[in-house]
Amino acid sequence: MASRAEAHAPAWQRGKVASWLVTTDHKRIGILYIGTALAFFVLAGLMALAMRLQLAQANADVLSADRYNELVTIHGTAMVFLVVVPILAGFGNFLVPLMIGVRDVAFPRLNALSYWLFAFGGAVLMLSFFATGGAAKAGWTAYPPLSTEGAGNGQDLWILSLYLVAAASLACAINFLVTIHNMRTRGMTWARMPLFVWSIALYAWLLVVILPVLSAGLTLLLLDRGISFGPWEVQTHFFDAAEGGAPLLYQHAFWFFGHPAVYVIVLPAMGIISEVLPVFARKPIFSYRAIAVSTVAIGAISMLAWGQHLFAAGLPYSLQAFFMVSSMVIAVPTGVKIFTWLATLWRGNLSLDTPMLFALGFLSLFVLGGLTGIYLAAFPIDWQVHDTYFVVAHFHYTLFGGVMFAIFAGLFYWWPKMFGRLLDEKLGKWQFCLLFVGFNLAFFPQHLVGLDGMVRRIYTYSNESWEGYNLASTIGSYVMGLAILLFLVNVVRTSRSGPRVGNDPWQADTLEWYTTSPPPPHNFEAVPYVTSARPLYDLRRRLREKSGFREL
Amino acid sequence: MRAKLLLSAGLLLLAAIAAPGALADNGGFTPVDPASPNADGIRDSFLFVSIFVVAIFVLVEALLVAFVFRYRRRLRPRFEDGVQIHGATKLKLELLWTAFPVVVLFLIGAFVFVELPGITNVPSAGASGQLEVRVTGRQFYWQYEYPNGVIAVDTLRAPAGVPVRLEVTSPDDDVIHSWWIPALGGKIDAIPGTVNETWFEAEQSGVYTGQCAELCGVEHAKMLASVEVMPEDEFEAWLAARRTEQTAGTSELGEEEWAGVCAKCHGLAGEGGIGTRLAGSIVLADPDAVENVVRNGRRTMPAVGSGWTDEQIQALTTYLQENPPSG
Repeated sequence: MASRAEAHAPAWQRGKVASWLVTTDHKRIGILYIGTALAFFVLAGLMALAMRLQLAQANADVLSADRYNELVTIHGTAMVFLVVVPILAGFGNFLVPLMIGVRDVAFPRLNALSYWLFAFGGAVLMLSFFATGGAAKAGWTAYPPLSTEGAGNGQDLWILSLYLVAAASLACAINFLVTIHNMRTRGMTWARMPLFVWSIALYAWLLVVILPVLSAGLTLLLLDRGISFGPWEVQTHFFDAAEGGAPLLYQHAFWFFGHPAVYVIVLPAMGIISEVLPVFARKPIFSYRAIAVSTVAIGAISMLAWGQHLFAAGLPYSLQAFFMVSSMVIAVPTGVKIFTWLATLWRGNLSLDTPMLFALGFLSLFVLGGLTGIYLAAFPIDWQVHDTYFVVAHFHYTLFGGVMFAIFAGLFYWWPKMFGRLLDEKLGKWQFCLLFVGFNLAFFPQHLVGLDGMVRRIYTYSNESWEGYNLASTIGSYVMGLAILLFLVNVVRTSRSGPRVGNDPWQADTLEWYTTSPPPPHNFEAVPYVTSARPLYDLRRRLREKSGFREL
Repeated sequence: MRAKLLLSAGLLLLAAIAAPGALADNGGFTPVDPASPNADGIRDSFLFVSIFVVAIFVLVEALLVAFVFRYRRRLRPRFEDGVQIHGATKLKLELLWTAFPVVVLFLIGAFVFVELPGITNVPSAGASGQLEVRVTGRQFYWQYEYPNGVIAVDTLRAPAGVPVRLEVTSPDDDVIHSWWIPALGGKIDAIPGTVNETWFEAEQSGVYTGQCAELCGVEHAKMLASVEVMPEDEFEAWLAARRTEQTAGTSELGEEEWAGVCAKCHGLAGEGGIGTRLAGSIVLADPDAVENVVRNGRRTMPAVGSGWTDEQIQALTTYLQENPPSG
């Protein structure tokens, strides 16, 4: 496993399970984050498969309307708050201290608290299916008045769950910031920091800025739903038009969080790509500075673009024009990243191992997700495609085709560092092929059916010309399910028998590969002085020069 | 060998993706065929953006595939360094791909602003003036109010060739809905406490369908809307006749209310569904009881008829007495 329990810990803390429960080791917490998020990924994925079954045919009767609305809500909420955000926190936890050459994060116990808050928050959301009235049914965006009028406790538990997860993310983000700003090893200036660490820094900064706004929105929502405490009852009307409230206020608060949240997710995924591509192309990234600067630029501008989600709500045209421009400006640094990655491949020596395949898959799919975003940013076009399956296709191309492919690239790439063993390459390649084919089959047709007028979040439809698209989509989603199953098989099969490949199987450039696999509890015996963004490359070169040894 | 395999796999995938499009009746890559000038403007903007989207997509994917084939390792040693690009070439490339998106986005933005007036501005009224209709989104039906007090549910009748202004809203005790008829322009939210405006001018007679685009509760999927466009004289005749019938209590309003307001949950024959079974219910025979339930809701049933006029209530109760649901 990642690290042994510390020798001086009391006996009860050294057990196989207990040592994981009490751990404050960033590597173990990182692995806990990733494992828990993958479990939620499987659950939320199964929800998607159930919904796809319902939509495979017109007028189908697999799920009731209420059940469908619950699944739509919990699938979306879980995939964002319990899967991609925390799995990237997991990568950050495992990697940041190793990449910047330190023993742990700044606040190890806060780190453990943050993991457990996340785990409990996730459990609350999943168990809310058993609450009075079932789980929340108002969509992952939970717009009032729909979300304030709902009877039962599902929506309240949804709010509670998000409170817990938001607190977890905030603690985690502060931890990353303090660690990255203060603890980098000797010689590691900002300009020599791994690009993944840059992306985690922006991830953390964005979370610190936007989470309080989300929490404020959630609090108003909770108060509008009414709370009672002993003899006291509070029932506010922030979003209740009948009492002079403004339903749109919530949408501003939610999307001030929700739009940058997309970049909170995408930036670390891009960070993974920026680490994987150079290693498998045997070249430094084409332009380190361009990637770092564009990461900061995307993060900063993303906070000015929330209004693009409100184009159909009747904002003044001047405001819509502003949000169109701010949304489009983000395309410039994003384009810089994509071309910089392409140029990193140019004249390289490409090894098409599984991590590289997933990284290339990210590139090919994310491009389409980014490009369809232009239609959504141009507000008159958005009036047409808003809230249709076109949007569903768009954000799945960015969040699954983009982020999940990057996450699998990262898992296959860092697996040997986490567990000392390689995942099976053959199964990995099969998984990639199935996932790539299944994904495109599932989501490309959704662009077309959305343009044809199919709105999102409907549990059934009677228009038979939409059936072909939807059937293709359903088949694709089950192919994706098969691919995920292959991944799980891979994990189980290689956990005992996977090849041990040493400290640095990929001949990579960053410090985490300097220590053993898995790393010892305190990560490093010694850390080399960092003289560039590729410390291990420098080290290998110096070794070669000294010994006259040429490796193949 | 492997390249051929990959290529054929890619072609198969393309075929699989394109197949459902070919099977569907309009299998296109563009929005629904526009039938109103504002929808025209949106479609034109869509097509203009598509020029760049397709070009950039093809460029990036082609480069990606070409690089993967050209620079894959083959017989080279696994860890041999690739060639890094430095100096003037690098600088030129970086300037190019920073400036290029700026130009493209500027063009797209400019085009959108040129098209915008044609999309947002209601054309000035011709000889026959404009028609103004108030559209109210409610769980789970659309209610239309014409200037002369005529009320209709779910199906909006409109004259061809006349600009129709819509004031879109939702009652204070309802939720957010979104009005959208794809062929007649973009969507606009119906928000409690707010009146949003949109318009269309259908060039040709016909029935244009759409549905609520904002999740509004359990029967969101059933909140369909249609616009029935007819020649202007025919429309005027319908509107006048409907006015008289509505006062007399003989209009189709009652039937529209049953189908649009009640039947989505209770079934067209009252057989039950999300709502309870109504066929054979004694409540239906009692106009006061019906009025009470419709105005105030009952348990999980929302107050679907809060704020209805007596005319609206009477239309429904009369219809139910004459056509009791048979189950």
